[in-house]
Amino acid sequence: MNSKNKKIVLHQMWTTKSMVLMIFMLFLSAGMFAQGKKQVSGTVYDNTGNVLPGASIIEVGTKNGTTTDFDGKFTLEVAVGGSIEVSFIGSTNQKVQITASTQPNLEIRLQNDGYLLSEVQVVAVGYGTQKKSDLTGAISTVGADDLVKGTISSTEQVLQGKVAGLNVIRPSGDPSAGSSLRLRGGTSLTASNSPLIVVDGIAGVDINVVQPSDIKSVDVLKDASATAIYGSRGANGVIIITTKSGTKGVSIVYNGMSSIGYVSNHLDLLSANQWRAHIRETGNMDAVDYGANTDWQKELEQTAISQSHTLSINSGKADSGFRTSISYLDNQGVIKTTGLERLSANVNAYQYLGDNKDVKFDTGLFANIDKWHPLDYRIFERSYNLNPTIPVYDANGEFTSVGGTIYENPVEILTNRKVDNQRHRLLGYFKTEVKFLNDFQAVANISLEHNAMKGSTYKPSYAVMEGRTEDGYAQKTYAEYTNAQGELYVNYSKVFDKHSISALAGYSYLENIYQGFGAQRSGFVTDEFSYNNLGAGYNYRLGDVYSYKGKSNLVSFYARANYNYDGKYLLTGTVRRDGSSRFGENNKWGVFPSASAAWRISNEEFMSSAKDWLGNLKLRVGYGVTGNQDGIGEYKSLSILGVGNDSYYDPATGTWSLAYSPKQNPNPDLKWESTEQLNVGVDFSLFDRVTGSFEWYSKTTKDLLYTYEVPQPPYLVGNMLANVGEMSNKGVELTLNADIIKGDKFTWDANVTLGHNVQKIEKLSNTTYETDVIYSGSLHGLAGMSGQYSQIIAEGYPVGTFWGFQNAGLDADGKMLYVNAAGEKVLGDALVDADKKDLGNIQPDLTLGIGMNFTYGNFDLGISGYGMFGQKALNATNMMLNDPNRLPAYNVPDDFLNSGITSAPKYSDYWIEDASFFRLQTLSIGYTLPLKYKGSKLRLYLMGENLAVFTSYKGVDPEIGLNAQDGSDQSGLAAPGIDKYNNYPRPTTVSVGLNFTLNN
Amino acid sequence: MKIKITAAILMSMLFTISCTDLDEELYDRVEDGNFGTTPKEIDALVGGAYSSLRGFADGISNNYPTCEYVFFLNEVVSDEATIPTRGTNWYDGGQYQDAQKHTWKSDNRMILSAWRYNYTGIAKINSIIYQIDKSSLSAEAKAPIYAELKALRAYYYYQLLDMFGNVPIVTDFEDTGLPSNSTRKQVYDFVEKELKDALPYLSSNVVYSKLTKNVAYSLLARLYLNSEVFIGTERWQDCLDMCQQISGYALTPDYFANFATENQKSGEIIFAIPYDSKAGTVGNYMSSMSCHYLHRFTLSATGDYPWSANGMCAQPGVYSAFSDTDKRKKAMVAGDQINLATGSVIIMDNGEPLTYTEEVTSLADAKENEGVRIGKYEMKAGESWERDHDFVLIRYAEILMMQAECYVRLGSPDLAKPFVQQVTERAGEELPAVIDLDYINQELLKEFAFEGRRRTDNIRFGTFFEPWWEKGATEKYRGIFPIPSTVLTTNKNLKQNPGYPEN
Repeated sequence: MNSKNKKIVLHQMWTTKSMVLMIFMLFLSAGMFAQGKKQVSGTVYDNTGNVLPGASIIEVGTKNGTTTDFDGKFTLEVAVGGSIEVSFIGSTNQKVQITASTQPNLEIRLQNDGYLLSEVQVVAVGYGTQKKSDLTGAISTVGADDLVKGTISSTEQVLQGKVAGLNVIRPSGDPSAGSSLRLRGGTSLTASNSPLIVVDGIAGVDINVVQPSDIKSVDVLKDASATAIYGSRGANGVIIITTKSGTKGVSIVYNGMSSIGYVSNHLDLLSANQWRAHIRETGNMDAVDYGANTDWQKELEQTAISQSHTLSINSGKADSGFRTSISYLDNQGVIKTTGLERLSANVNAYQYLGDNKDVKFDTGLFANIDKWHPLDYRIFERSYNLNPTIPVYDANGEFTSVGGTIYENPVEILTNRKVDNQRHRLLGYFKTEVKFLNDFQAVANISLEHNAMKGSTYKPSYAVMEGRTEDGYAQKTYAEYTNAQGELYVNYSKVFDKHSISALAGYSYLENIYQGFGAQRSGFVTDEFSYNNLGAGYNYRLGDVYSYKGKSNLVSFYARANYNYDGKYLLTGTVRRDGSSRFGENNKWGVFPSASAAWRISNEEFMSSAKDWLGNLKLRVGYGVTGNQDGIGEYKSLSILGVGNDSYYDPATGTWSLAYSPKQNPNPDLKWESTEQLNVGVDFSLFDRVTGSFEWYSKTTKDLLYTYEVPQPPYLVGNMLANVGEMSNKGVELTLNADIIKGDKFTWDANVTLGHNVQKIEKLSNTTYETDVIYSGSLHGLAGMSGQYSQIIAEGYPVGTFWGFQNAGLDADGKMLYVNAAGEKVLGDALVDADKKDLGNIQPDLTLGIGMNFTYGNFDLGISGYGMFGQKALNATNMMLNDPNRLPAYNVPDDFLNSGITSAPKYSDYWIEDASFFRLQTLSIGYTLPLKYKGSKLRLYLMGENLAVFTSYKGVDPEIGLNAQDGSDQSGLAAPGIDKYNNYPRPTTVSVGLNFTLNN
Repeated sequence: MKIKITAAILMSMLFTISCTDLDEELYDRVEDGNFGTTPKEIDALVGGAYSSLRGFADGISNNYPTCEYVFFLNEVVSDEATIPTRGTNWYDGGQYQDAQKHTWKSDNRMILSAWRYNYTGIAKINSIIYQIDKSSLSAEAKAPIYAELKALRAYYYYQLLDMFGNVPIVTDFEDTGLPSNSTRKQVYDFVEKELKDALPYLSSNVVYSKLTKNVAYSLLARLYLNSEVFIGTERWQDCLDMCQQISGYALTPDYFANFATENQKSGEIIFAIPYDSKAGTVGNYMSSMSCHYLHRFTLSATGDYPWSANGMCAQPGVYSAFSDTDKRKKAMVAGDQINLATGSVIIMDNGEPLTYTEEVTSLADAKENEGVRIGKYEMKAGESWERDHDFVLIRYAEILMMQAECYVRLGSPDLAKPFVQQVTERAGEELPAVIDLDYINQELLKEFAFEGRRRTDNIRFGTFFEPWWEKGATEKYRGIFPIPSTVLTTNKNLKQNPGYPEN
């Protein structure tokens, strides 16, 4: 026996028995095939050119085989005229004929098989993972390669358009603005509606603690059967982020990018010359021409120059792994002074112990620091108001100041205030996994999240606030939040014949503490100190210092059981019992169950004839109950005395003291909102090229939390947080992935996500609380609209329903006409409340995400975009600007001069527009230089972001944040879809970058 | 095996640190049962009853304290003030126009705000009484505290009696049953009884801003003065008797000392809501609600004065009702407004000069500069939103005028003379030969213009129901406001006031 033969069996368990068998077999085969043998060697690569360790090579028709080593290399003695088959999980098998002329050094490149890859993909399901093929719930997975790339300052953005039914809403182009996530329409009127974020098993953390480059995959748990394991926090879906950890080998990766961004869309307002021409035409004697030509919008802008660098080091052995990364992002905003600077780092290490990897220790640490200058959003309104003939600076070089508050110089506001914010995020965990009694595994996980925010503000004595100075004003604030968790769970899994069973039971304890303090003073003799010496301010008031602290606990018990028969019939059941300190005395504990089943039809005998074109067909059904406890702040169920701005005068001493007063109507019945959801899904794979999922869901949220109007008397205050209403969301989702062309040189793949959701408020009253309608969508802050609302929340309508008068165009005098309840055309004065009607709503009929990737040789091209269709938006900016009272003092849009409008703005559907849009989000072209050294490579690319928006919306941007940016509306779903000077423009960005991977 | 044991120990440590305790831990506030045991804590509780007189920022008044809205409502429906719509501004759903035209509906937000202001004050006092009940103080010690709180509560009920009439009477904090209406007579009797019961325990001293005997007598005098309106029974003599119990006050020589920044020094003010900028109290900035946006340049060359909203102004005819020699006419700001920086008339953004005119083109479409402005309280450069002048609720001049009115009504106008004389003399005006009700009515307008009490006088003199600027004749039922629609929706036990549609 020569040494070559020996090598074949080295990868098997080396026992005397098998050696004897081996020798016997070799003799046997040698006898049967009296042909010549040939020694074949080679290297196996994946489709991206990386070497593949662990691929198997089998001589076809024999048991002769081997696997590739660490460098993807193999050697095998094969009969001449035979063939070898190379296989690797997730790749299409490849056969190579071995002839006498076959070169000894084969290079074999395996192609990915999209379907196979997805079926063996491991999906995080909460407290463990499952193979995708075994899933029974609705879960979408996005791998690192498919995440949105570009200048990303909020981690949510990586999911934009990538998951059917998940909307990522960025309120503006401000790099320091976060994004909001909405899955399947949201379930709450007051709570955040944001899905629960789980990072490496730690639930309820800030998604931005993780940087996009550290993400390995994202799993989005959508239906209740999947999320019920997270109980009272699962109603809005769960996003599980798995980060990269040390993999086999050593590699160093650097990503660098730099970009320029500019504002691509402005409001068309009168230029100074247009304004002068108009004044000449109308002969307005009172008009004041200040002599300058100022484009106030452009005065606020800059070309944004941004850069980002990420360096990661990876090292892995058979029983341990280590990965660390550091990244720096400097993302400038297109409005002067704005931007976000972030430094972040991540370390992960794991170590197995024991012969059979019985014990695993796993630690991770994420940290980042953000710095930015928050923007005073009032500058946008001011920039539209100011007469274009006013110069930015007066003759003395000082900021020009004319007129009233809404007429303040926005450049002055932008320049003269110094606001520095800093945020720290930290997440660390230590996880221990122990295998015992063969089939059991216990996991203990301790984690701490600590986020802190520091704010520093200084308004120097020369800064003008609301037209006046404060002799210097300084403020410092500090707020911190900790989220400490301990988790312990036990897994059991067993396979008997065709039955496989797994089960999980666990306990978790969570403690959130928030606390902070702040101080402010005004009246500084010198501006030298900035915000660094508050004690120097001579003017102070009672409320100038404050501090606060609060705490909440969540205690949970949970269990899950899976049953799988022959990979065909799959059952899952989960239950979680959550107890929260936030809940009222009478409802401390809640139980959240779910059940789901799946049938892999394609694995049935009777489907075998369809195997050629139908790789997979799976039907899933799931039902569950989940909760949302976000809407309940701490202590809402208690009767509490607090000290607020309730000071009183004590005539005995002539001084002021602080009063203690009851703060709220206590509600001992307060509890989570509960959402029942039924989901039916189909997973399929066709012609080995197309994979996809279709989902239908129906969910009903009960015990909707809202601050309801309560009768006063007897209640202390006129409103109270209570569980009353009911809301439904029904919809369908489609996800498609296609490998359209899978050539050697040319590949083309595409993915599409589609979502459709219909929302309805079912009920707003119960036996205790009666409400006909809740007015929302406040127009407060707009001239003449104090206390006015544009939307209603009412039974039978979705959230964000515009409710108001229907316009009937202008009359001969340019006065706006409206249609009253009797169908007559009347002027605004003649309208009564009964004339108001449904004017459409902000809910999109369809959300769409599209991505496509092409490769040709070493070139790659990627394109992605997203859109929302059928939603309405109130263009309140336009409503206020098209006011005949504005000229000549305030600027107006170009269109106004031709509109003929002579009546003052009044809220009606005249100002409600279709805000459908499709945004071409990214387009990138790259070229990869394969380097000779161990699969190391260098990729250079050029990328454009926000290159085009297809829309008929007349405002600056049809994509409108959920809440007013001026902070006047903070509630979850209460006032979306209103463009109220909502105009931090989204930049168009062009970047160049390089990725360098060094393997060793 | 060693490893497994170590791991098992680590894991069991997790269990030992965990628990299932779900009680809420309080750090920066206290649960209501744990407060009100020491005298200092009692002071802090009772102080809260007074602080709610300033009102609070609610969703309706958009962060303005609600007492301003009570004031807005009573002023705008009276014959002395108006809030015209100026271009786009101050339309706000027509709520001010409806109030001016006396066509208000039950969903008018000023009406809801006024309702909430009073019932929040009442509920707060009920909750404080509940705290005191639980406190370990002796019954003797509690008696004066209860008296002070109940008399203050009677002040709110008096307001409700005046504005809404048939309101529910709620006195028990723990009772969360939905109450039904009491009749206006029942509310009247309740207010009278509560004040009378409290009198023996109230302080006889002159104590600024506290509910003393003098304040209780003043409230009873007000109650009896309007008794005919409230319950159809004249009680002029009772009013006189109450007024005569009041002692320790005199008119200040300078009328405007009552409205100065340091008006707590005035010996005329019987009851006031204190404000202090350093104490962070927001409110009593009516001049800022009234003056033009650029008015600040008349006070400071650098414009060092808060933003003004260009809202409420005097109704046409009010300014000219004052003779030029009447010192009280300075409670209004009229004519050209001079920019201290340039010495010339301020030019508005639209290029026109800022000149406050008495005439107002129309309620629905007034020009920016139209209407004479309210400047009764001191305005000075450097002020912030938190003003220092206290809001005057009752001052001694009212006690004098009540007595004068009662003597006229009782047919002894000569006896009225010494009372009116004090008031007119200070104003620099002559007494007429004959003092009749018309004269009293006019004098009440001039003496108390923009102090939030004109509506009650208009109703008592009957002029409320006659046409005036931008208003036709008013139906009798509008002598009280409707119960706000949202209150009726949420409490089916309540009936709407007669004359108003159910909803």
